Amino acid sequence: MPTNSKEPTGPNLSALLEGLLSSDIKFILVGGLAAVVQGAPVTTMDVDIVHNQSSENISKLLAFLKSIGAFYRRSDNTVIEPKEEDLSGTGHALFTTRLGPLDVLAVIEEGKAYEDLLEHTVEIEFRGHTIHVLDLKMLIELKRISKDLRDKQRLPVLEETLRQLEEK
Amino acid sequence: MNKEWGYQMAKKTKTKNSLDVDKGLVAMFLKMSIEERLRANDNAARTILELRNAYKQQRTNRPEPKRTA
Repeated sequence: MPTNSKEPTGPNLSALLEGLLSSDIKFILVGGLAAVVQGAPVTTMDVDIVHNQSSENISKLLAFLKSIGAFYRRSDNTVIEPKEEDLSGTGHALFTTRLGPLDVLAVIEEGKAYEDLLEHTVEIEFRGHTIHVLDLKMLIELKRISKDLRDKQRLPVLEETLRQLEEK
Repeated sequence: MNKEWGYQMAKKTKTKNSLDVDKGLVAMFLKMSIEERLRANDNAARTILELRNAYKQQRTNRPEPKRTA
């Protein structure tokens, strides 16, 4: 079994985001980075996306993942490369890439998929592309029902960010 | 205690709400462009990794404690 010899050089999440956009992949930015781009003073170590599961989009995503040397994040350092069927199911695919960790999620809390979330996004211009970002209201709503303690800890900062945004 | 430091701390405490959110920090981030916010996060993430690696290295290099009979 091959072992992990493709250690990433350090995260560059902006470049990872730009790469997804340049590859014309349909996705919604969720998680910590969605909060960061909307102005919340939080730090995140990965990019979380919910992708459109059309076969065309999955092919584009797979090609992009291969171009950035993506392999599954595992504790045993075994290199397993992404496959098409992994991206068309309902699970989460968590990758290590040359540009930093990337979590490709078919659904998030309450089974919400790309189509369900699209109406809760804001369009943000970034390096000549448009990113669909899960809006702060929805992020907060999802964090409230999340069982993850880290989500609960982050909640007050997101709520304050939304409060100041609405005050403007 | 340094008076200026004390004053800054008092000022900082004042801008935090009951949930201990630094409102000034939120306001500062909201003034940034998307590019600046992402760059700040990238820099923070790299620094965290660097510090974690340094800590791991320091623990690896630490000499074994001497055993006593």
